[in-house]
Amino acid sequence: MSITPLLFATDLTKYFGKDESKVVAVDHVSLSINRGEMVLIMGPSGSGKTTLLSMLGALLSPSSGSIVVDGVDIGSVKQTALASLRATKIGFIFQAFNLLEALTVEENILFPAQLTKEGIRGAKKRIDSLLKRLGLSERRNALPGTLSGGEKQRVAIARALINQPEIILADEPTGNLDSHKGQEVMMILHDIARDDGCAVLMVTHDPRVEEIADRVLWLEDGALRDRKIETHSWVKDPVCGMRVDEWTASVTTEYNDKKFVFCSSRCLSRFETQPERYINEI
Amino acid sequence: MFYWSIKTLLAEPMRLIVSALAVSVSFILVIFFSAVFEGESEKMVAYLEEMDADVWVMQKGVSNMHMASSMVWDWKVDKIAKVSGVKDVSAILYFNGPVKVGGKDWFSYVIGVSPEYQRAGPWAMAEGKSIPGPGEAVIPDVVSQLTGVKIGDEIIMVDRKLRVVGLSRDTFSMASGVVFVSREDLADLLSGSDQYSYVMVYAEQGVAAQVLVNRIEDEVDKVNALTSEEFIESDRKLAMQMGAEIILMMTFVGTLLATVIVAFTAYSLITRKKRELAIAKAIGFSNSQIYKATLSQSIIITILGILFALLISFTALASLPSIAPQINLTVNLHQFISVAIVGLPVAIIASLIATRTIVKVDPVSVFHS
Repeated sequence: MSITPLLFATDLTKYFGKDESKVVAVDHVSLSINRGEMVLIMGPSGSGKTTLLSMLGALLSPSSGSIVVDGVDIGSVKQTALASLRATKIGFIFQAFNLLEALTVEENILFPAQLTKEGIRGAKKRIDSLLKRLGLSERRNALPGTLSGGEKQRVAIARALINQPEIILADEPTGNLDSHKGQEVMMILHDIARDDGCAVLMVTHDPRVEEIADRVLWLEDGALRDRKIETHSWVKDPVCGMRVDEWTASVTTEYNDKKFVFCSSRCLSRFETQPERYINEI
Repeated sequence: MFYWSIKTLLAEPMRLIVSALAVSVSFILVIFFSAVFEGESEKMVAYLEEMDADVWVMQKGVSNMHMASSMVWDWKVDKIAKVSGVKDVSAILYFNGPVKVGGKDWFSYVIGVSPEYQRAGPWAMAEGKSIPGPGEAVIPDVVSQLTGVKIGDEIIMVDRKLRVVGLSRDTFSMASGVVFVSREDLADLLSGSDQYSYVMVYAEQGVAAQVLVNRIEDEVDKVNALTSEEFIESDRKLAMQMGAEIILMMTFVGTLLATVIVAFTAYSLITRKKRELAIAKAIGFSNSQIYKATLSQSIIITILGILFALLISFTALASLPSIAPQINLTVNLHQFISVAIVGLPVAIIASLIATRTIVKVDPVSVFHS
């Protein structure tokens, strides 16, 4: 039995300008992403990653090609229906966090809920568990200006999840975070794909994320290409499998006289609950 | 989005207050000019009201005192006095024109008072004698304050000098003041020693003014009789007509100013919050939902502006005449209601100006750090 992809793009092309000034940003890209899958889009700067993400998120119309989100061809629906589709099917996470400065953590998270049928009242039933899951319970009434970068990104993730979307599109979600906070955010997104069954599509420059992703798409000059895999001599996080630099990693533990290195405290706490399980998996 | 728009406004309270105050200034201008004209109009009919006559009689075809002239033979005054139901009459000779006081021309209602009709003189005195004799004049106390002309000084009425013998109260308006002279001087000036201009008729108890009007017009030829209410209303209407265009123009200017201020505030808010609007669009909010949020912000600023305007008008405008006695102000509820009615279109128009900016906000811009 074949699995129907949640997000399916065919022969996607986007160009800007006309005639001599025409620039092809995305060139005949086809891809598909299934539920529970975490896919990375990597590539050099200016390769068209963000343009591709904008089109897949129904924010930008492609010059040609088609995009199907959960069975809906987004090229055939009106702008208002597209806005509704974004509100209910897709969660966005941005590099710059993009929180609303006047609203508290809780209000920011609930902000997209007013676009759904259940509304804010319905979404409020989920807010406590979401805040707890993302470690924000103590910060629910704080304003964005008082949050750290990691907290801001976690609020942005919570906002992306509040409407229980099936697709998460993340643009450089660790770009403004230090390595430890970045690793934590990556693990949260990894969990969202694994535990919630969301399709997570992420644009990133961070090579350490490759280990936890199901697939890596390499975009160059607007087109998907094969990439030569580089080798690194990093150690593996026994829980998530992410590569971690043993010399700079600060989250470590010893078990049975052996040192283990983790990408984040989240992985360490998981390890501590069932160490034998993770050691056996190595 | 409505909640966002409120919280965004409240997040910068100083900016909100300054914007609302700026809006209130334009509304205060509208209220101020309206109050000045109403105050002036009230003062222009003050003489008619204070005389407390039941009926006014004037030359046929005349129905005003403001900007009008009237001639009634003196024998007709006697005839009117004999009409059944008339208790008393009082008559004045009148003209309106400039009177030079302190080297400056003051447009005035000049009332020529006869010794036999002294009730036609000033109703409240600040200083001096109230009934002027030949070569004498009673001028408004405000004119005295503004020019420094005191009792004993001279003023010029057309071609003759008169000596100030009294200062009357509540007889000044910027459009015209009431100057009392002797009938003899005015009759000499107008070559009307056997004429009066207006006759005030006081009815016997139980006789309706309208009944007297009918009797006078039946019994006395070529006169126009009006009840006091009709006469005052006619003069007030004329005064308001003269000021209506200016009030309308000032209302337009004030409204335009308010629109520009609200529009600028809404526009600057949108410009500053462009990124947040882009986030909202990316998340799934439509242009119309964002426009409604902007409209609600404009309405809030306008309502605050109106409230500030009410507060300032009631306190500052009401106390203005005590600081500047030459200004007559009448601050009424209907002026505030007019401003409140004007306020809603102001908010809508102002937020419409920002619509183009909202539509142009690109949700893709949220990807740029």
